[in-house]
Amino acid sequence: MATVTDWIQHLTTDVDTATEGIQVAGQVYPMVGSEMWWVLAGIVFWLAWTFSTAAGEDEEQGKLARKKHGANDYKKNIAEW
Amino acid sequence: MTNELTALTTIFTEFYYWMTVVLMFLIHVGFCMYEVGASRYKHHQHTLMKNTMLIPLVTITWFFFGWWIYWAFPTGPGIAPSIMTESTGLVLGGGFGANELANATNALMAVNLNDHIMGVFWAAFLLFSWTAASIVSGAVIERITTFAFGILAIAIGSVFWTIDAAWGWHFDGWMLKILGYHDAYASGVIHAVCGGFALGILAVLGPRIGKFTSSGEPRNIGPRNPWLVCIGLFLIYTGFWGFYAACNIPIFDLGPEYGMEGVTFFTATNIYVTPTTLSGITMNFLLSLAGGLLAGYWISKGDPFWTYSGGLAGIIAASAGNDLYHPMQSLIIAGVGTVIAYKLHYWVERKFKIDDAVGAVAVHGYAGVVGLIICGFVLWGYPSSGYGVGSMWVGTDYAPINPLGMIIGAIIMFGVLGFLPGWILAKILHAAGKLRIPRDVELAGLDYNIMEQAQKDERAVASSNR
Repeated sequence: MATVTDWIQHLTTDVDTATEGIQVAGQVYPMVGSEMWWVLAGIVFWLAWTFSTAAGEDEEQGKLARKKHGANDYKKNIAEW
Repeated sequence: MTNELTALTTIFTEFYYWMTVVLMFLIHVGFCMYEVGASRYKHHQHTLMKNTMLIPLVTITWFFFGWWIYWAFPTGPGIAPSIMTESTGLVLGGGFGANELANATNALMAVNLNDHIMGVFWAAFLLFSWTAASIVSGAVIERITTFAFGILAIAIGSVFWTIDAAWGWHFDGWMLKILGYHDAYASGVIHAVCGGFALGILAVLGPRIGKFTSSGEPRNIGPRNPWLVCIGLFLIYTGFWGFYAACNIPIFDLGPEYGMEGVTFFTATNIYVTPTTLSGITMNFLLSLAGGLLAGYWISKGDPFWTYSGGLAGIIAASAGNDLYHPMQSLIIAGVGTVIAYKLHYWVERKFKIDDAVGAVAVHGYAGVVGLIICGFVLWGYPSSGYGVGSMWVGTDYAPINPLGMIIGAIIMFGVLGFLPGWILAKILHAAGKLRIPRDVELAGLDYNIMEQAQKDERAVASSNR
């Protein structure tokens, strides 16, 4: 799981011997190589959120619209905490 | 980084962009305050949520594809060859500044010990994207659904503004080469495009109930809380310092960049990698703010809403050329842009029955367009890039800045990438019945249920004695 288990070893391991100086592996996050799956998971999360909240908004506004409140009715609901 | 000077330069650049992000965050705080202050009591909380939720929506889509679009589209595609790939196709590979690095799955789009710039540069552009969506948000308050706004925010914040940035706000953009387009601090690429996009939506969305009399005369609605609007706009001004700084590259050696043998010239540059100074643009920013405030106060006869908006319109009008203008030029251009934006706002409102609740189309759209056109005349003949000077319409080199190119650029920004996509998307959402909230909800107030519940809670708490 862990990409780095020893910082000293990581920072002294040359991944590109053709280049002058020590070239360390830059990617240090867990599960290097699985980026595509994480991005896909993010996209699924985003789309699910969109559909779910859209449905919730429709339902909430449909209920409120059916009550046919007037333009000034909200004034009786002003709280004075 | 094994060289101390390289390390210092890199870490300074990293910190510089990070600071711009922090400052630009205030733009969003300001927009939220401004919108809530402009909305009526019964819509406050939904207005706030609508603007707030664009933050996560634009952020994740900017990560998925917005940043990729910026680096893929400078050639059009198919309009002018890239100086990186020498092809007119999408830019899909290469070193930093090319596209394989800017896609969401690349190793640099994460913590990477070999890179200190990608994340902060990505974030600086993301904050521009929030601003883009937030500009639109104010215009449509009190009657758009949160769902529709979310779609439109993603469209402007992660697609259309980033296409225009690739075209006209990129050292390799085709609009520089073909047209001689110049827009250093985004009069067009942020403000005009968003103003146009908002106008396209408003044309379909329609006015708030009660905005116009039966004979078509406009009525004034609000702002309900002028003080909150004032503080909001002050915060937007404050955030603009970060916006301006983020449009620059803080330190760059132009000698080797321009291929000048033996020449070393360290300077700040604008986004086109042409030289300017943070010091100079600071003067221009302040003088354009002053010009806008003076003109806004004068034309509106001291109306606070328009005086503050005038300050913003002034900055926006002068922004296209604020990397090169004299401060007095910035002052005058800002004043002219503000007066035209104010006049156009009321003319369009009466003529086309457009209800722009916060004047966003005027302040960002009209002022941005005016700024682009004026820039074409004032900077006529300046090179649009340091990578070479050519002539208009050719595309293999960079055309000089000129009025015709800037007028065409303004049409592309406001009309082609702004108004048209906004109008089409709004039409689609309207056809699907998803654009506007039900009439009875608009009358009752979006917050009716929340307020009713709060009232019940208050009564319950007040009647409780333990």
